[in-house]
Amino acid sequence: MSKNKYKLLKKVLFYFVLAIIIIYLLFPFYWALNSSLKTEAQLSMTPATFIPRDPNTGEISIYTNNYLAIFQDGQFVRGLYNSAIVATSTTILALITGSFAAFALGKLRFKGKTPALYTILAMTMFPQVTVLAGLYAVITALNLGARISMIVTYLLFTLPFTTWVLTAFFRDLPKEIMQSAQVDGATAFQTFHMILLPLTAPALVTTGLLSFIQAWNEYLFALTFTSIDVEARTVPVAIQYFSGALARQEPFGEIMAAAVVVTIPIVVLVLIFQKRIVAGLTAGAVKG
Amino acid sequence: MAKSDSSNLAREEQKLAFKLLIPAFLILVIIALYPLGQVFYTSFTDRTFATARETQFVGLDNYRSLLSVTMRELPAVIDEDTGEQVVDENTGERVYERPIQVLPREPRYRSVYQFNLFGNRYVLGARTPDFIRAVVNTLLFTIFSVFFETILGLGIALVVNSEFKGRGVMRAVMLVPWAVITVVSARMWQWMFQPTRAGLFNMIGTRLGLIDSSYSFLTNTSLQLPSIIAVDVWKTTPFMALLILAGLQLIPNELYEAAEVDGASKFKQFMTITLPLLKPSLAVALIFRTLDALRVFDVFQVMLSQRRYSMASYNYFQLISARRMGLASAIGVIIFIIIFAFAILYMRALGVDTE
Repeated sequence: MSKNKYKLLKKVLFYFVLAIIIIYLLFPFYWALNSSLKTEAQLSMTPATFIPRDPNTGEISIYTNNYLAIFQDGQFVRGLYNSAIVATSTTILALITGSFAAFALGKLRFKGKTPALYTILAMTMFPQVTVLAGLYAVITALNLGARISMIVTYLLFTLPFTTWVLTAFFRDLPKEIMQSAQVDGATAFQTFHMILLPLTAPALVTTGLLSFIQAWNEYLFALTFTSIDVEARTVPVAIQYFSGALARQEPFGEIMAAAVVVTIPIVVLVLIFQKRIVAGLTAGAVKG
Repeated sequence: MAKSDSSNLAREEQKLAFKLLIPAFLILVIIALYPLGQVFYTSFTDRTFATARETQFVGLDNYRSLLSVTMRELPAVIDEDTGEQVVDENTGERVYERPIQVLPREPRYRSVYQFNLFGNRYVLGARTPDFIRAVVNTLLFTIFSVFFETILGLGIALVVNSEFKGRGVMRAVMLVPWAVITVVSARMWQWMFQPTRAGLFNMIGTRLGLIDSSYSFLTNTSLQLPSIIAVDVWKTTPFMALLILAGLQLIPNELYEAAEVDGASKFKQFMTITLPLLKPSLAVALIFRTLDALRVFDVFQVMLSQRRYSMASYNYFQLISARRMGLASAIGVIIFIIIFAFAILYMRALGVDTE
């Protein structure tokens, strides 16, 4: 009886904590959603309302024109397309090169590991602003298009991150797995892509998602490299260029509508891949 | 025979390792070598953006003007009649000489902070006070935001890692703040921080009767940093939480089952199994989070712009608005050195194994 009560109490407490976490994480996003469904007049109401209400009558009144406006804006739709291409390509490149490097750094024996790891990490020690001018010079010299420029330069922050996280994961995998594969006559590279890579699936998915989001959100490089090629603008830049129907002030409702729309693909992506974060190991050899 | 076999194997392994590292280092050379080299070189010149003026080599001048600090005692203002220190009639505070009277003038130093120590009043002066303040702002920002992000991230990861219905959806919910575009989320928070009741926090504050007048979170100097830290904690906790969650997945369940059999409490299990095994993933997450926080730009730029700088947003200001490329590069190099020092300290403290 008391044991049951204790269990119930624990369960209630758990869901209470869970609810607080969800509110904390989602409330600001809800506020963006709420603001995106308001007109200019509703936005400047004092006090602000938790749901869009009519300024005069106080009735609930939802305004969807912000969403129509952003989808009629060719810039925004093209931005979504550009962002998808850039973020996907960068992530894939970072995962491939990063997992190669991480396998070497995490599981193989060779001299010069520490300097190699530090050199890779050093890439992320400069603020983006600092390297902007130099990177721009490199891109002009190589005559790269705006999209390719973004894909390549985003590796500056995605590659060190994927390499380091994956190195830590490779190192944690038991040595026995590699040894038994070698006894079976597998080459080191076969061991890598047939046995170790599937085992690090959770790490691959995690770093992939985090890198994708970082690339999806990047603003400063995108702003600089698309300054000439307007067609290649990614979403964050496109949003900054929203002019609004009433030119006198920034279209806050539209910006918030865009924020909501742009977050949805990421949420869908996470929903698709989230099982992998867990499944990788439980299905693997370590659990046995 | 067996020995030469194993050394052959070692050589093969070394060869493979180098081959695997080639792509990563090739990319590094293309996108990092020249830009970084240029930053180092430019930091020793007085190059300016978009002018016809000839660039001069100025040695360490940029560094000197950024890093020169001095501390002076502020003498008390003595009332000539009483021989005692003047006390301000309105505030009741003791009056001291103004910093400009005691700080060196050639080159010109300006006041950064004033503070009391052992009954004396001192002033910290610098040739570029905004930069010194930016360094302090960034360090405070980094320490507090990384601390809260780690604690919250660990908490969320542990909750999401336990068995319950809907944990799949929860994993997606967990990442929402990180998924909102940084520049836009800064605007969103700016909106919530509005100094009138059109802003969320002032509206809630008034409704609950906590505040009687409206706070202006982003102009009040004592509220600026806490506000920015709150925004960053909300935004980046998911990053920590997801990395920690992935680390938790690596811990075999058998260990907990065995501990359960031994009758170890949940707390003991956490201290003896979870934390030690989580250390490698936690360390990597901490390093990247800290390095990222030290380079913070977007939030500061959007929410505070020129009211209060982080190191990177000051760098941006010098480069884009003031067009002083030489000085801006020197700022970049100083940031690099600070971050490098942090990275090494961290690896030592966390015992990160690089070999």
